[in-house]
Amino acid sequence: MLKKIALEKFGHLVSAIMEKGPLYAPVKGGKAVDFQEIRNPADVTLDFYNTAMSPKFVFFPQSEDMIRYSLGKEATEAEPVSLNAKPSVILGVRPCDAKSFEIMDRHFLGAGVIDPYWNDKREKTTVIGYAFDPSTAADPADFYNTLGISASDTAGSDIFMIRTDKQLLFKGITEKGDRLLKDLAVLEQGSKTEEKMFDDMAKKSSELKTRFMEIKDDAIARKFVQVFDNKEFWEKATAACISCGACTFVCPTCYCFDISDETLFRDGVRKRFWDACMFTDFTLEASGHNPRPRIFQRYRQKVCHKYSYHVDKYGCISCVGCGRCTRSCPVNIDIYSIIESASKL
Amino acid sequence: MQNPYIPMPVEVTKIVTEVETNDIKTFRLTFVNKEDEENFKYLPGQFAELSILGKGESPIGIASSPTQPGYIEFTVQRAGLLVTGLVTTALHDLDVGARMGVRGPLGNSWPIEFLEGKNVVVVGGGFAFTTLRSLIHYMLHEDNRSRFGDISVVYGARTPGLLCYKEELAAWEKRKDIKMHVTVDKGDANWKGREGFVPTVCKEVGPSPENAVTVICGPPIMIRFTLPVFFELGFAKENILTSLEMRMKCGIGKCGRCNVGHKYVCKDGPVFSFEELDRLPRDF
Repeated sequence: MLKKIALEKFGHLVSAIMEKGPLYAPVKGGKAVDFQEIRNPADVTLDFYNTAMSPKFVFFPQSEDMIRYSLGKEATEAEPVSLNAKPSVILGVRPCDAKSFEIMDRHFLGAGVIDPYWNDKREKTTVIGYAFDPSTAADPADFYNTLGISASDTAGSDIFMIRTDKQLLFKGITEKGDRLLKDLAVLEQGSKTEEKMFDDMAKKSSELKTRFMEIKDDAIARKFVQVFDNKEFWEKATAACISCGACTFVCPTCYCFDISDETLFRDGVRKRFWDACMFTDFTLEASGHNPRPRIFQRYRQKVCHKYSYHVDKYGCISCVGCGRCTRSCPVNIDIYSIIESASKL
Repeated sequence: MQNPYIPMPVEVTKIVTEVETNDIKTFRLTFVNKEDEENFKYLPGQFAELSILGKGESPIGIASSPTQPGYIEFTVQRAGLLVTGLVTTALHDLDVGARMGVRGPLGNSWPIEFLEGKNVVVVGGGFAFTTLRSLIHYMLHEDNRSRFGDISVVYGARTPGLLCYKEELAAWEKRKDIKMHVTVDKGDANWKGREGFVPTVCKEVGPSPENAVTVICGPPIMIRFTLPVFFELGFAKENILTSLEMRMKCGIGKCGRCNVGHKYVCKDGPVFSFEELDRLPRDF
């Protein structure tokens, strides 16, 4: 199914989507553009390269309540927070980020245990992907081509959106996407001309080049096992790292979280919230023993998890080459360079 | 769909102080909801997350055996060397009748099928003996005993007062279908048993590797000196099993905290053979 709308009518589309439920879309705030839940249709922008933070928070919020309790009450009276996400839409997701949802699905919905918090929101959300603009060069930090993702990749999107000079074209990719497209009366049916335009633009976008090196999942996974004990390599590569965790927080495929009980006076909540294997205390045990006391060990864990252990566990690399970690690192550590060096060892 | 993050309510029905330093207690818990009890099917070696709302959760090995129906038991040390254990301290302050939560059973178990038909050498140190105690009860049960070969146990603590499960140890000493070698690093005036470190006693006992599996749980220093003894005796790495411990939170393989290589200790473990551990990165 192909639908279209004139660019100047975009606000109407946003309003129409908002009538159905929560909408998450890119909003410009200060210097950066980031996904937010939209209150005012005029806030949505499509003029950006990519958001500073990944959109993973839509399915995996930075902080999420699990159980509400009152001290002094019986344990049986504690209330698990009910899972009742409303049907939502996330619009403007770049191909690398759309792919990241599928990678996170393997973790949160796989290995024989379904994470109900991720699942609830994921089931009820329609993803509208957004092709990169072929007339804008890729950011030098990006390397999604290396992970097999093109600038107009539809993997992970329910609907794929391409922008032309005067229009927005929408192609249904999944059944869920087709359903939403059918429901949005404000969209017009696309003709054969538009279908061709979509394919042409998609092809043009896909020719956008990012940094690229040939890597095969299994080969790189084995390489990192081989390189694990090479202390010199890791110490050198991570010498500048200050263990701040920014890379983890902006990353679309990082999923580590902590669980903590937070009480104020008598009432409290058990919640989960983002954590980072980069932090010193991540693996600190009550006995005082810490398996990864040094920064190089923690950074090694991060890279080996993404490029080796995740391959063994879930069959794919846990990275989409979105470049955010490189862009946000205060000491200019570049994961791509580290992988390149390791693969040459 | 059952939410695996929500604990099941339990009541504390018995508390036994195991050691003279009073910092290790065994808690007997019964489920408030019959349905939860019926669904809690476990094998020795598994653990559960003990939950106290307002404090948090702690992953503790199940010390009771499924052959002891109606309750589950956990032996918990009040942690507090570098970091004061929030949950374990709160646990130690509980009285009989208190309510708390349990999530489980979690993790893999001692591989019962792998152990069947073989001689089993159980080696434990200090209070790491808890899931070994579960395994011993399981194997000794009249329904199960015939499926296992000779069972021998080497269990040591620093002093006699630090041995756990003293009554059960005494009862097992009297049995003919299990050979006990209980030892202490240093005895006291009343101690009539053996003196010697666990690795030394293992060497003296000298179990044969022929059709045998050894299960070792203890502090790292004990394991470091006990492993070579078993290698010298001729035990292959796949026949030496242990249980790992790591800081955990979710206990179900989602929060990413407890991995060694591509294995999550909470989900793919905590039981591993040394052959499996050899294939993992030296990240612990």
